[in-house]
Amino acid sequence: MHAIDMVKGEYIKELLNKGFRDGERGMYEYRPISIQNGIIPNAEGSAQVDLGGTKILVGIKIDVDSPLPDKPGEGNLVTSAELLPLASADYDVGPPSPEAIELARVVDRGIRASEAIDMKSLFIEEEKVWSLFIDIYVLNYDGNLFDASTLAAMAALRSTRMPKYEDGKVIREGALPRLKVNSTVTSCTFAKINGKTVLDPNKGEEDIMDSRLTIATDGKYIRAMQKGLSGSMSYKTIEELVDISFDKSKELRNILDKAID
Amino acid sequence: MNRIVVPGDLLADAPISIENTLIYDNKTYSAILGMYDDEKKTLIPLEGTWNPRRGETVIGIIDEARPSSYSVDLNSPFKGMLIARFVSSRLQIGSVVEAKVKELDETKTVMLMYAKKLYGGKIIDIPPAKVPRVIGRGNTMIQQITEGTNSSIIVGMNGRIWIKGGDVALATEAILRIVEEAHTEGLTERIAEMLKQNKKVV
Amino acid sequence: MEAGEKPQLIINGKRTDGRAFDELREIKIEANVLKNAEGSAYIEWGNNKILAAVYGPKEALPKHVADPERAIVKCRYAMAPFSSLEEHGRSGPNRRATEISKVTREVFENVILLDKFPGCSIDIFIEVLQSDGGTRAAGVTAAAVALAAAGIPMSDLPYAVSAGKIGDNIVLDLNKIEDNYSDADVPVAISPRTGEVLLLQMDGNLTKEELSKALALVKEAGKTITKLQKDALKRDYEKITEKYKKR
Repeated sequence: MHAIDMVKGEYIKELLNKGFRDGERGMYEYRPISIQNGIIPNAEGSAQVDLGGTKILVGIKIDVDSPLPDKPGEGNLVTSAELLPLASADYDVGPPSPEAIELARVVDRGIRASEAIDMKSLFIEEEKVWSLFIDIYVLNYDGNLFDASTLAAMAALRSTRMPKYEDGKVIREGALPRLKVNSTVTSCTFAKINGKTVLDPNKGEEDIMDSRLTIATDGKYIRAMQKGLSGSMSYKTIEELVDISFDKSKELRNILDKAID
Repeated sequence: MNRIVVPGDLLADAPISIENTLIYDNKTYSAILGMYDDEKKTLIPLEGTWNPRRGETVIGIIDEARPSSYSVDLNSPFKGMLIARFVSSRLQIGSVVEAKVKELDETKTVMLMYAKKLYGGKIIDIPPAKVPRVIGRGNTMIQQITEGTNSSIIVGMNGRIWIKGGDVALATEAILRIVEEAHTEGLTERIAEMLKQNKKVV
Repeated sequence: MEAGEKPQLIINGKRTDGRAFDELREIKIEANVLKNAEGSAYIEWGNNKILAAVYGPKEALPKHVADPERAIVKCRYAMAPFSSLEEHGRSGPNRRATEISKVTREVFENVILLDKFPGCSIDIFIEVLQSDGGTRAAGVTAAAVALAAAGIPMSDLPYAVSAGKIGDNIVLDLNKIEDNYSDADVPVAISPRTGEVLLLQMDGNLTKEELSKALALVKEAGKTITKLQKDALKRDYEKITEKYKKR
């Protein structure tokens, strides 16, 4: 972290102590969210999410593959994330960092655990299944990659077209059926700063947070959780944040529903 | 007559000696994205890095403390440097200072002098090209903002601004609006109007 | 270059997408689309969708790559794994992308006024989000806009476009299918002020006259492309100026 981020962080902490957030946001309020579907027609599914200044593009590609040896009757789900160097002065060129890998795995866990996709329905014939590739492309970083990526992945999945497999060839043109998505998962990410918790941290807040908690829900159940950074969290805090997540997730599901039409 | 020019645009059929231009074949071309005035023959950059000049006020953050000098982050491709024995305040990493530009050395490090430590406050970074507009001719714009918000504001020519006290949010909003509309007419009046409408009893 | 079944690329004197031989695909350019980068541009060129962004000038790191006399230019061209009409592109180092990154960097090393920023680096990123042939030309065209938007001083605003040969015809701006089955493909970047070539690659078979025809098409197309680049740079400012114009 650069010295300037420390200084900007001091100001944010000062405000938080008085109960305010920089930019006049509520402690558990999301920044403005916009979702655009199908912006990459070459892909089987795609969506761009803007969450405040954070910009995420998710592209979905579906190929024919062989199944995993221990799951011969199921398709594959592969989620990857790239923190593109153009998204932030702090992102470098190179192989995926632990942050990128954690982001991909947490988003993946939420989708997999909620059984949004029936993996058995991706079976084609013996030794041939569909592999579904979810690629999370971070285009601009301003905090809270988790919630924006989960929203973008969900929006992309819900508008994904399934290719056809005929005579040993993959057909991606013509009228294709929609991928069947059985549930909608969204996540809520909180930052703990000096004992206070806030929802949807921006970059300035993430620079100085002590710990972070992401909670993915589908409306009924908690489907995935991830605590990040080295600060500790009490049971009481975690339970409070779970309550807030169930509440806020309704708002997120509404936004998703409106975006898919 | 003002017009926006881009790198490679022809400005004049004769050589004009102004910054950010190139002369080929006795003709003058713009090297930058800027606003060119055909009559006054001035070229104002719309974006771009700060060009340090002796005596300019800057706001910096100490990012390295060595036995005899401090390295200063100036939000610029070039680092600032303060000689420790000429600094009266106790500085450490993260200290915010207001200082003046002394000179540039051969590696383009900005040698600074007259450093004063600043306590508390909020820092915002804006494109250096917009700083003149935030200050205004004869300081008119910045004075208007400090009066309208009761904030103390120090504007660094390097694009770093320090705001403390008063209505910090309103001061920030005014400055960001100036950055967006810097190239337009009537900006001073619009900011005056905005400050009047949003004035809170602080 | 021949495949088993070569599709008909020219039917009744028109190309598969209906274009004339010297016609460009539709191009749209928008500047300043990303907040963190110093400058950025988004280009749609036919079905290509490409983002270009610039960071810098900033301190060149690691220190041993810095040049004490001038800025160094770094360039990364990469394609998203979901960018093609066919399969998912598995990630990893890609020799084609490395080569394109190099020849693109060389375009900008020519026009950027490097000695204004000793010890610094200027980093250019080109991400192809959707591809349909001619991505390196679109990338160069967008990167030029991103650099100007970042306020980086340059001697010119380069543009690029490809020309090629289909059968006996020299055509402008090959899309993906044309590129796959053409008899020659020539991407070119030009410094419009001087008309000189900053990037040139070619593969296939061309006579000298055919090459001249191709280069002429490129130069003619430059008028349109340059105007689009300038409009993209001016648009945001002019919109705001219009809004507050004193009547």
